Order: sequence, then C-alpha cells, then structure tokens
Amino acid sequence: MLDDAALRSHLKRLIVESLHLEGLTPADIADDAPLFGEGLGLDSVDALELVVALEKEYGMRIQSHEVDKSVFASVASLAEFVARVLATDNRSAPVDGE
Amino acid sequence: MESSRRESGRRVVVTGLGAVSAAGRGVAPFREALRSGRTAIGPFDRFNNAAQRTHVAGQVPPQPQWPASPGRRVRWSRLSNSDRFALFSACEAAAQAGLSRPLDNRNAGVFFGSSTGGLIETERYFEQLVREPGSRPSRTLLASNLLCTPAETVARHLGVHGPVETVSSACASGGLAIEQALRAVRDSDVDIAFAGGADCLSLTTYSGFNSLRAVDERPCRPFRADRAGISLGEGGAVLILEALEHAQARGAHPLAEILRAASTCDANHMTAPQSEGHWAAVAVERAIADAGLEPDAIGFINTHGTGTPLNDAAECAGMRRVFGARLGRLPIEATKGVVGHLLGAAGAVAAVSAVLGLLDREVHPTPGGGAIDPALDVDLVLGGLRAMPGVRAALSVSMGFGGANAAIVLGRWEES
Repeated sequence: MLDDAALRSHLKRLIVESLHLEGLTPADIADDAPLFGEGLGLDSVDALELVVALEKEYGMRIQSHEVDKSVFASVASLAEFVARVLATDNRSAPVDGE
Repeated sequence: MESSRRESGRRVVVTGLGAVSAAGRGVAPFREALRSGRTAIGPFDRFNNAAQRTHVAGQVPPQPQWPASPGRRVRWSRLSNSDRFALFSACEAAAQAGLSRPLDNRNAGVFFGSSTGGLIETERYFEQLVREPGSRPSRTLLASNLLCTPAETVARHLGVHGPVETVSSACASGGLAIEQALRAVRDSDVDIAFAGGADCLSLTTYSGFNSLRAVDERPCRPFRADRAGISLGEGGAVLILEALEHAQARGAHPLAEILRAASTCDANHMTAPQSEGHWAAVAVERAIADAGLEPDAIGFINTHGTGTPLNDAAECAGMRRVFGARLGRLPIEATKGVVGHLLGAAGAVAAVSAVLGLLDREVHPTPGGGAIDPALDVDLVLGGLRAMPGVRAALSVSMGFGGANAAIVLGRWEES
C-alpha cells in the first residue's frame, strides 16, 4: 500500500497524464485545490475520464453512487477515497513509478 | 458597391478572416499558397492509407503546439481536429476584426457548415474498441462526435450567445452557412456573425469517395481535359460578417462586402449534379439580380471546381447560361486545386480566397497541370496571378452532393 503522500503524488500524475492537461505538472496541483470549477477547471467529461483512469490504474471498481462531488473535490479527498476502497477490496495499489 | 438591391436590409461587410488549411495555420500561409500557384496537396499520414486506391490529400501540417489563447483557457488536446481548425480560424478572424474576447454578446452568432465533425476521433474510439475489446477508450474521443461541435466550440470559447447554427448539406454547407449568416446580419438578428466551417480528413470520407472512384490519384486538376476526380482536404475558415453600421461605429475596417447570396437544389440525384447546371445557374442569377447587378459586373468566379469530370462540366454549363459567351474570357479560379476539397468547409475557404482576390485585385492561379478542357472553354487562370485592376465584384459558387447549390456575390470595399 502506498503511503498517503505517495498516493497523492501518484494521483496528481494520473490526472495530468490521463486528462492531457497541457502546461501543467503534477507539482502545480495543490493537495487541497478544487479540481472542478474554479480550481483546476475540470468538467464532467474529465470526471468520466478520471473514473476510468482510476479503475484501470488501481484495479478498482467505482460505483456510480460513489462518484459524488465530495470525493472528487480535491486530490486529498480523492486519495482518501482511493485508500478506503483499496483497503475494503483488500487490494494493493501498484508500486509508484513507471 | 452602389446598390439598387431588391429587398431592404442592412449592408453586410467582412471585417475579419481566419483559415487553417494544408498550407498551414492562418490566412497568411493560405494566401501565399493561393498566390504561388503551387498545390499543398500531397502524400499524407493522418491515417494509414496504404490500402486505399489513392494516396494524396490536403492535410493540415502537424503542429506540436496550438497557441495559448487570450480570454478563456483553451484545452486544445480536448478538442477534435475539426474543433481546433474552427477555433483557430475564429480566433484569427476575431483578432483581425478587432473583437475583444470573450465577446459575451447576444448580438453575435455562429453559422457553420460541417460534413464530418469529429469523425476521425470517433473512428479512433471504435478502432481501439475493436482491436482491444473491453479496453474502454477515452470518452473524449466521442465528445466531438456531433456535426455541431465546431460551431459550439467557437461559441463556448468566444462567448457568442446569439444563434449558433450548423448547416450540413454536403459540399455546399459552407456556402449555405455564409448565406444564413448574411441573412441574420442583414435582417438585424445579429450584428456580428462568425460564418464558415471546419472539417477533418477521416478514413470514412477518404475511403467513401475512393469507393465512388471520385478521387484523383494525383493532386486534383480542376477544369483540365484529363481531370480525374477530387482531392480531399481538411481545415477551417471563418469570415466575420458584420453590419456596416456596426463596423463603422466601432472603427473596424471592412475587407469586402457580401452583396447577396442565394441557394437552390437540383432535386435530381444523390451524387451527380444536374448535367446542365441549371439550378446552380438559377442560384447565381438570383444572387446577382438581388445584388442589383448585371452578370457583366462580376469580375471573376471562384468556382466550386472539384476536378471531377461531371461537376466541372455541369458547373461550366450553368455558368455559360448566366454569362453567355463572356464565360470564355471571364477569369476563374478553383481553390480546391490548392488545398483540396474541405467538404463542409469548402465554401468557406473558397469565400476567403474570393475576399483576398478582391482585396489584392487579382485572381489566383489554379495548380494541377495539363491543358484546359477545350469542351469547357473557360478562362481558368494558370501559371501566375492575373491582375484585375478594375475588379468590383466576384462570385463564389458551391455545388454539393444531393444537388445543393449556393452562390455568393461579393463586392470590393472602396472607402468613399
């Protein structure tokens, strides 16, 4: 299992790469910055892409009712959600680093 | 131009131009290609065409970066090729017109022609799905699946809150979109219209036209004796159409005037034009008459000129009906010989060429090589630019599959 900081850093890279955010690096995303609307400016199409990317990356299944605004509010909330699901599923996240 | 036109309505001028084509991004490289007489059609790699019957097209050159845009943030990677061509052209045209972005204006509209929308991205989605069942390709590839997305992309990024409409009538779409925009501005529905369109190269259109054997194995040769079909192209073009009074009030400089436009349909065949070009001629006659002009006032014709045996013959027959024996000495050009056939955006990129011709008082040479078909007896400008010192008006013609015809009469703008 990744520790909290490593999971957040992993998620930031996943967001930048899977959503093709030009001119943005993982380091530009603050843990608590809003992902949607004013912050990073993501929208509902990005949310769909992100769900698929998370499912592929972590081998998890995300139910539609789990995709709510509080989960996708920031990298911090997303990391908390991923860690919780992985713990429940008793699965390990892949080792950080490609 | 002086006007004794039928119907009332506001005068409509062009205050900005934008284009993306096989010549590159921007009106400047397009204009340079038009003036050079060289074709931008050639081998291309947008998709694997090894198994196709032909292997040339007018592909927009690959660009590593799309520009940072003032105003609203643009995520170019999210946009389909067609949406990128549309947005780039619209931003270029808006900049030339001196329009600040975003406009946030209800009195502006977008009137676009489209045949493909995000077809190549849709192809990529299904290609991946077929190759790797269950692989869940990016949803973004389907986001531009609709034909209306180029126009909506322009509206969204430029803050256009008036009517946003997409015409899809095959290869006449761009011309028909300009006609709609003209009507909207003339009738005071909007003050400013983004008129034009954008289309992409795709395997579907490329193999479709090839299966019809309508594609030349060489870059297309409009009006030549040995012409053998079209060359497909891609890109976009936007003309800012604006009420003259509105443009003058904000100090914008008119580039040309759109005098009138008219459209008809052959109502005859799925693909073939009516062989005598009868209904194309009716559209042209009506546009010229509504502009308060006689055919003799037209200084040059920006033709539909696809390079297929049937279209060029039908178009010439129709123009002969309008212009009589003068057709043989009336200079004509065919934009498709330079950048290929942009399908739903063809009428738009052709209209940009006509505006440039009026501005520069010249007719562009049509590349392609070979002798002009003696049966057509037209004055196709070849080799170099034809100076037109006294030109006052030009005609741009579009003729689409399904028999759709559009004619636009443009006037040179003279400061008085």
